[in-house]
Amino acid sequence: MNLLEAPHGARLRVVDLAGGESVRRRLLALGFHKGDIVQLDGKAIFRGPILVRNCASDTTVALGHGVAMKVIVEPVYEPA
Amino acid sequence: MSRPEVPTVVLIGQPNGGKSTLFNSIAGPKAETSNFPGTSVKHTHSRVNIEGRLLDVVDLPGTYSLCPDDPTEQVVLTHLFAEKPDLVVNVVDSSTMSRGLELTLELVELGYPTVVALNMVDLAERKGIELDAVKAERLLGVPVVLTIAAHGRGVRELLDRVFEVIDKGQQPRPPSYSDDVEDMIAEVARLMPPEFPVVSNTRFTAIKLIETAGHACGRILGQVEPGLKEAVDRVRRTIEGRRGVPAYEVISAERHHQAMKLFEESSRILHGRRLTWDKKVDAVLMHSFFGYVILAAVLLAFFFIIFMVGSPLETLLLSPFIKLRAVLAASLGDGLLYHLAEGLIQGIGGGIAIVLPYFLPLLFLMSALEDVGYLARAGFLLDAFMHRIGLHGKSVSPFILGFGCNVPAVVSTRMLESHHDRVLTSILIPFIPCSARTTIVLALVAFYLGPLWAMGFYAVNIAVVALVGWAVSRFMKEPSPGLILEIPSLKAPRLNSIARKTWLQIHSFIKLAWPILIGGSIMLSLLTFFKADRIVNDILAPLVVQGLGLPHDLGVTLVFGFLRKELSLIMMLQALGVDYQNLMTVITREQIVVFTVFISFFIPCLSTFVILWKEIGRKWALVSTGLSIGVALVLSWAVRLVL
Repeated sequence: MNLLEAPHGARLRVVDLAGGESVRRRLLALGFHKGDIVQLDGKAIFRGPILVRNCASDTTVALGHGVAMKVIVEPVYEPA
Repeated sequence: MSRPEVPTVVLIGQPNGGKSTLFNSIAGPKAETSNFPGTSVKHTHSRVNIEGRLLDVVDLPGTYSLCPDDPTEQVVLTHLFAEKPDLVVNVVDSSTMSRGLELTLELVELGYPTVVALNMVDLAERKGIELDAVKAERLLGVPVVLTIAAHGRGVRELLDRVFEVIDKGQQPRPPSYSDDVEDMIAEVARLMPPEFPVVSNTRFTAIKLIETAGHACGRILGQVEPGLKEAVDRVRRTIEGRRGVPAYEVISAERHHQAMKLFEESSRILHGRRLTWDKKVDAVLMHSFFGYVILAAVLLAFFFIIFMVGSPLETLLLSPFIKLRAVLAASLGDGLLYHLAEGLIQGIGGGIAIVLPYFLPLLFLMSALEDVGYLARAGFLLDAFMHRIGLHGKSVSPFILGFGCNVPAVVSTRMLESHHDRVLTSILIPFIPCSARTTIVLALVAFYLGPLWAMGFYAVNIAVVALVGWAVSRFMKEPSPGLILEIPSLKAPRLNSIARKTWLQIHSFIKLAWPILIGGSIMLSLLTFFKADRIVNDILAPLVVQGLGLPHDLGVTLVFGFLRKELSLIMMLQALGVDYQNLMTVITREQIVVFTVFISFFIPCLSTFVILWKEIGRKWALVSTGLSIGVALVLSWAVRLVL
């Protein structure tokens, strides 16, 4: 699933960064890589951006609707 | 190693890492500002004397990496590669250290003498992160100092280490990539011809060639010669073939993991002490309902404060100029000398008393919002709306800046990564009513027709921006890459950093706009003296009288609206031969509205036009101007029809 379909607040692993080279480079520069654990922190109204926090570096970025669609994630199952 | 006379130290770090705070802490408030050659994105430098030893300290804009995409960040690279500083102080936000270290590792690869300042350790502590500087230092091979720049903590030790490295030199040990990647780097380094413009060392240059071909950084590294380019392309294909992802991503991912490992080995996470209050505040600030309520309140308060401060200040500052003019009129008569002096006074007076009272508080509040971290949040909230006009949330802050003055607003579009966004935002900025136009709206519409009319004017104006944006984006098909915007953690506002930001902007405005203001005013006075204004009026009569239904005498004011928008107001009174209070005796309410609408839109002022030309090129500057003229004509006629 992509970041738009992901549940709010759950821990997610980035599986793939789709999208063009410039978007990928920007995401890498802002510290979002394949394999990172992230968390969805918020969503704006009207197909607006989402807020995603990288759990390792504790940095938060706002990703536009189109960009968020290209970040593929999977849920992380933590031992209870 | 020969020691330079006065060593240069540059501060480099990712945005929001407290770099400028550290700069202030070292350099104090006496920092000089300077233009960077070839561009006007500011960097600040200061010569400081630390117990008898001189140091040139340079503060560069924040950058996430040494392969940046946006022009502001590329300034950093150009400076770093071309000026070859004697030492780099890498400022890292220790509360987000594992990401900041990625840039640190690039700097260690670059191999200039480096000292790392792990800044804002208090914030890291509150997040439950305990840092071990000694361990980090051993792993990186460069000095690491813990600092809290805002309180001056650790700054003394930082400077001691800086001098130590300057005196003794340094051998940083960059960590290695996987063997297969290292082999490829070595191959490119081996094939590099002796005359190749190597940056610092062949390994760094080889890494950057592999990472960046076809990218801005590659251009800065110089024209790659055909033989080497072929080798670099081959190496890149080999890496991609083996790993299944582009070479730049392989290198970036390995660096990312090196950074995370470094962070893990030099820090301890104390659980249960996580900072939570700012997360709660953020949840409200970016809430899908309350977020917008707060945004509206912030913007309303923003403009309310500006006008509360601006209008008494304007009256106060304007009165000496009016008196001076009267004194000169009495003593110099009506000769050429008087007209020259009058033009000069009008120009200087306009710059000081009309623009600054509104512009200064606006820039100050704007810097405050930026410093606290609210602008990024406004960008988040407004992103969806900006998409309707083909842009995204990052264009919000240039637009807000445009309410003060369009000129710095256009310059600030450099922080947008894509050319498309930069051009579209720059085309739209001239439609934002700047403080000079607001002065006219307040003085004519609000004063004669009432404040509701002025608010209506603003509403229509914003609708026009949206409509023009929507229309233009239909023709600029290149899709915007979408919003990728860091949301920095909220910070308490600090007066000295806000004051410094405000000063930097005011300084560049004064340097750029005042000569044009003063020159324009003098020219206007000379035209009046030689009675050339009548010729201008006659030429413009078909437009002014038949087209807009305005008095014949107002033609010349339109021309001078191009030089300075607020000049049109003074000129209007001058041309009609009445004083402000008696304006309604010679002109109707309808004419006031038409005049204000037309003057506001019909053309960007000269300074804006010049900066548009410089920033986005002649073609787009002319497109923007053409759009302005078109919109002004349509709107004015619409107003005539309605009223």
